Amino acid sequence: MRVPLSWLREYVPIEMPIDELTEKLSIATAEVEGLERIGVPDADGNLERFRVGRVLEAEKHPNADRLQLCRVDIGEGEPRQIVCGAWNFGPGATVAVALPGAVLPGGLELERRKVRGELSDGMILAEDEVELGPDHAGIMVLAEGPEPGTPLAEVLPLVEDVLVLEPTGNRPDLLAVYGIAREVAALQAVPLGPWPGSDPGPVPNRQVEVEVADFEGCPRYIGRLFENVRIGPSPLWLKARLLAAGMRPIANVVDITNYVMLALGNPLHAFDFDTLGGGRIVVRRARNDEKLRTLDGVERRLEPDDLLIADAERAIALAGIMGGEETEIGESTAKVLLEAANFEPFTIFRTSERLRLRTEGSNRWEKGVDPYLAAPAAELATQLLRDLAGADWTAQADVHAGLPERPVVCFRPERADEVIGLETPEHDQYMLLGRLGFDRDGGNVVVPTWRARDISREIDVVEEVARFRLEDVPFTLPLRRAMFGSLTREQRLRRRVEEALVGLGFAETYTPSLVADDETAWKLPEPIAVELTALRTSLLPSLVEAARRNVDAGAGRIALFEIARVYFSNGELPNERLHLAAIAQGGFARAKGVVETVYEALKAEPRFERGEHHLLHPGKTARTSAGVLGELNPRVLPGEWGAVELDLELLFSESREPVAYEDVITYPAVRQDLAFVVPEEIEAGELVDAAREAAGPELREVEIFDVYRGEQVGEGKKSIAFSVAFQSPERTLSDEDAAALREKIADALAKRFGAILRSA
Amino acid sequence: MTENEATVAAVDWEAYEREASAALAAANSPPELDGARVRYLGRKSELAQALRGVRDRESGMLLNGIRERLEAAVTEREQRLEDEELDHRLRDEFVDVTLPGEQLAVGHLHPITQVRRIVEDSFLGLGYEIWDDREVETVEYNFDKLAFAPTHSSRSPRDTFYFDETHLLRTETSPSQIHVLEKQAPPIYMVSIGRVYRRDAITATRYPIFHQFEGLAVDEGITLADLKGTLLHVMRALYGPERQVRFRTHFFPFTEPSIEPDVSCGICGGVGCRTCKYSGWLEMGGAGVVDPQVFQNVDVDPERWSGFAFGCGLERAAQLRHNIPDIRLLWDGDLRVLRQF
Ligand SMILES: [Zn+2]
Repeated sequence: MRVPLSWLREYVPIEMPIDELTEKLSIATAEVEGLERIGVPDADGNLERFRVGRVLEAEKHPNADRLQLCRVDIGEGEPRQIVCGAWNFGPGATVAVALPGAVLPGGLELERRKVRGELSDGMILAEDEVELGPDHAGIMVLAEGPEPGTPLAEVLPLVEDVLVLEPTGNRPDLLAVYGIAREVAALQAVPLGPWPGSDPGPVPNRQVEVEVADFEGCPRYIGRLFENVRIGPSPLWLKARLLAAGMRPIANVVDITNYVMLALGNPLHAFDFDTLGGGRIVVRRARNDEKLRTLDGVERRLEPDDLLIADAERAIALAGIMGGEETEIGESTAKVLLEAANFEPFTIFRTSERLRLRTEGSNRWEKGVDPYLAAPAAELATQLLRDLAGADWTAQADVHAGLPERPVVCFRPERADEVIGLETPEHDQYMLLGRLGFDRDGGNVVVPTWRARDISREIDVVEEVARFRLEDVPFTLPLRRAMFGSLTREQRLRRRVEEALVGLGFAETYTPSLVADDETAWKLPEPIAVELTALRTSLLPSLVEAARRNVDAGAGRIALFEIARVYFSNGELPNERLHLAAIAQGGFARAKGVVETVYEALKAEPRFERGEHHLLHPGKTARTSAGVLGELNPRVLPGEWGAVELDLELLFSESREPVAYEDVITYPAVRQDLAFVVPEEIEAGELVDAAREAAGPELREVEIFDVYRGEQVGEGKKSIAFSVAFQSPERTLSDEDAAALREKIADALAKRFGAILRSA
Repeated sequence: MTENEATVAAVDWEAYEREASAALAAANSPPELDGARVRYLGRKSELAQALRGVRDRESGMLLNGIRERLEAAVTEREQRLEDEELDHRLRDEFVDVTLPGEQLAVGHLHPITQVRRIVEDSFLGLGYEIWDDREVETVEYNFDKLAFAPTHSSRSPRDTFYFDETHLLRTETSPSQIHVLEKQAPPIYMVSIGRVYRRDAITATRYPIFHQFEGLAVDEGITLADLKGTLLHVMRALYGPERQVRFRTHFFPFTEPSIEPDVSCGICGGVGCRTCKYSGWLEMGGAGVVDPQVFQNVDVDPERWSGFAFGCGLERAAQLRHNIPDIRLLWDGDLRVLRQF
């Protein structure tokens, strides 16, 4: 919402420095985007170079058919000669003049110069040159009155400060200059000016024919008929205000509807009455397949939920959103039907959403406009139509099915103190609420109509008090009678995994959870980009891409990990699981070392089996019960890369946390090296498992320290050497005990795998 | 008198020991020391010979005493010479201490994780539990139960990622408020941290995926002032002890009163600069007193219990804390960036 300060001042005095006011508004009322100064630059006496002038002579330029040569009195005694390209004035006209040295909005500095051989000692201004209007067809001809030489700034709003506010969605009352004025009045504790506009003269007896077929969608419809309307440009002050507020002036009638909307917050619409079939208004829902060409020239196909303004025959406007082309006000319009209605928010929201058509009007309606506001809006518009378009008000209608009562809410000032945690004297609370339009009624307050939608409970009234006390709210902490905070086991272990990987030299990374495509049911039908379409079921592809980008950027010793969710289809909602993925230069051994270290950090023991994965080398892929690891298939990314993806929940389930102490000190271990010759296809892990199974818990450690192939062991065979430790927590193992355990292992391996024990 | 007795008697042992001690002490290298040892203690030394011929106890004690003392002197001198030699060698083994060390790898936690941990630890310290909640939500939990009006703009598919009419990617961590209130009876003190999704185009300041932390405190007698104190604590943990916090009014469907907390700008110290758009304050997120409607939606008695809730972005916190100008840097996985943290 753009609020020109000159307009705001019409409704409320500003009694504090503007910086202080904007700060207070931003705290108590709405976000302040900024304070913009628009119009003629106001520095270095620039404004003094803009004067009122009176044209003394105006003739055709001797050397140019399209130019006029003028002599203009600007109160200096001697008139100035000015060349001008416009012809909409003659001698005697009061005009706006900029003198040489003047800087125009946009930064252009005027110079005294010759135009086609004739000196031009200044410039006669058109409205667009000083940002007072859009028009450049002619220069501004001012009303008679001000003496030549009068500073132009005294006659025209050459400089304007515009407060740019962004009210929240619950405050449509702030999408109006008068609504902002009410807040400014409350902030400063000064009175607010009266509602602008009042009905001029007698209320006509004739009725406008209005039928509201759907009071739910249209709780109120005020229709007013105006005749003898003279369509033409709006006066400069009005154009300037619309422009400053961010709307483009068009012509008086439409400008007036926009002006009233900006002033009071109730969008209006004007129809050319002569184009209305049957001269009547019907507010109803659309019929199937009904169509309407809106003001923007687009033909809209309507649906039965859409609320329409129709005449006796056809749709003429999308209620609250946009008018129809066929009933638009034109230059020849003589009779105007003014609509000051009220529309229900959700209806407008739904249609505007479906048609993707958002207007200043729909933006207000969908937030909920006060139905009482239609009356003052109609009054202000009526006054302006009479004053600015010479219109006669000849008929009227105000159709509604009863307007809502003002809400009455129980309010206890001490409750406000409890919620805020700060005391505010009762008298101050009621004073403040009074300035905002609340009335006290014993232990209740009566809510103003323009806040009825937003305020229906005591807590809502408390907020009204609170927002004016925010600067004084103290800093306290909850009393904390029953608080207890600690990380869960999963959260603790997750941190441990993160620390372990950081210790191994990995850099943590974050990649998007949405990917180009994935084998998942969880795809967005309307993604913002194809590469952000589907919820991923694996982190590895994202890490591969991150690794690739780092290769391209010339990074060395690349090692990345990520912990994030993946999403598997699982009934109504996906099964979201926390995964760990890592990628590093270094091949299978690196991947395996990483997994072993992570397990060790978690006090868990991994068991590896051959596995497969579409991104990994078919011969160098393994899995554990928590996931997969291996060397990247070189087709995926050139070079040797280790890659890992584990499910953290499964991983954590294997953690032996907390660890139970084992006595490995009292009785010494017997250490031996064992080497077995086995067929090539037997995997070391199988031997270890079988050895553990055969020897039982007294086999405390088994580690593979060598794999040997060669003539001594024979073709198609290999020798795997283990270092083992036998130990009991209850007694010292004798050489015989150790020999017996070794025997058990050798027997088991011989039976299962044909393994031959080479040495002891 | 025997010959040997004569030999023992013929030598002035006091002088022998003095001479031997002096020779050992004067030895300046292992060979010199060895020479002196052989001469005074060796098999052919006068002492050894005399010892071989000793017959009486008195002479034996005298000569053995001399031998033991001289042997001790040899050991001592040996040790001394070794020490000196080691000292000498170590003096020669100097290195250029300015050369790089062995290349050991230490990795890096992502700045978002670092900030997340600060937030987690601050709230753990205040007695909060940390929640990690689901990201795919229903309209019911993301909007309806949080009292979003049917016309609230966040519901629009222009702002929110929908899978179908009822399922979406959560737009804030707030659905956790409902989940925890449905699961646990008050008092509740929890922070939910995780990814959220909004339909924004990727720019330097916006990314359609980002992280939030959402706090909820529900207890008897909770006030807006408690919220202010809590946020001050956390903002100071994130940005330093000199930071200030202020509240501005705002609107959220699930809090009443609703506020936006600002933290004082650390770059200009609050006087105004480009980062804070010359206001001296930086927006931190949204917060407020839990709306009674939310309590009613989950069958918690709003007359007895009150609470506050707040939500802030982790990316913004990481950017402010580490002066990271472009949010995309947090998502690129670029080691040139990650290795700085
Ligand atoms: Zn600053």
